[in-house]
Amino acid sequence: MAKILIPTPLRQYADKKDSLEAPGSTVGEVLAAATAQHPDLRKQIYTEEGKLRSFVNVYLNDEDIRYLDKDKTAVGANDTLSIVPSIAGGWAGERA
Amino acid sequence: MIEIELQPWQQMTAHAEATYPNECCGAMLGSTDENGKTVTVALALDNASTGSQRARYELRPEDLLKADREARSRKLELIGIYHSHPDCDAYFSETDLKNSCPWYSFVVLSVQRGRFDHANCWLPDAEQTHAEKEELSWPKS
Ligand SMILES: [Zn+2]
Repeated sequence: MAKILIPTPLRQYADKKDSLEAPGSTVGEVLAAATAQHPDLRKQIYTEEGKLRSFVNVYLNDEDIRYLDKDKTAVGANDTLSIVPSIAGGWAGERA
Repeated sequence: MIEIELQPWQQMTAHAEATYPNECCGAMLGSTDENGKTVTVALALDNASTGSQRARYELRPEDLLKADREARSRKLELIGIYHSHPDCDAYFSETDLKNSCPWYSFVVLSVQRGRFDHANCWLPDAEQTHAEKEELSWPKS
């Protein structure tokens, strides 16, 4: 089964574990299986419409799945998925 | 409540001052218990913004992934992100909010004329519509 590394603040939604294992042959299947067992974790990662939240990136080992085959990216039993947020900011033009 | 220890605090403010007049950014590692969060390690990360870095910052997800791995290998937790506001208050801007992630504490360091001035910590919500102030404590020299 593939391994999913859980970011620290989300471990409270994953039985306090730092990683989960779940079956599936694609990224989408593995994440669906893992989050089916942990509905509160699902809410953190997916919107109510079932799309990955805008700030959520998924990495297969060292690669962003956006540049692979997205949620259809093939996953092997020894692969590791990581959930990594997008973070940016700025303030230009907001204040005089 | 989030408390930053002396060494990471000195690194963060030095990073913010050295990067002035641009924005700096980095990750905060530490631990969490019933009394709150304690930052014991600061990791300076690259500002990957391709626009003007005087008022923009962007973290590469790859760098955050590395920071998370570093935390795991040191038995610490990735608990927050810091960035600086050159010649601007330590508020959580609209752009900060729209590009935030609700899982982390966001420390904003205000740098005025090249010197650290004040800081605040923010907790954005999942909808990226509001950020709550989190009580922040740092070593006062
Ligand atoms: Zn900002």
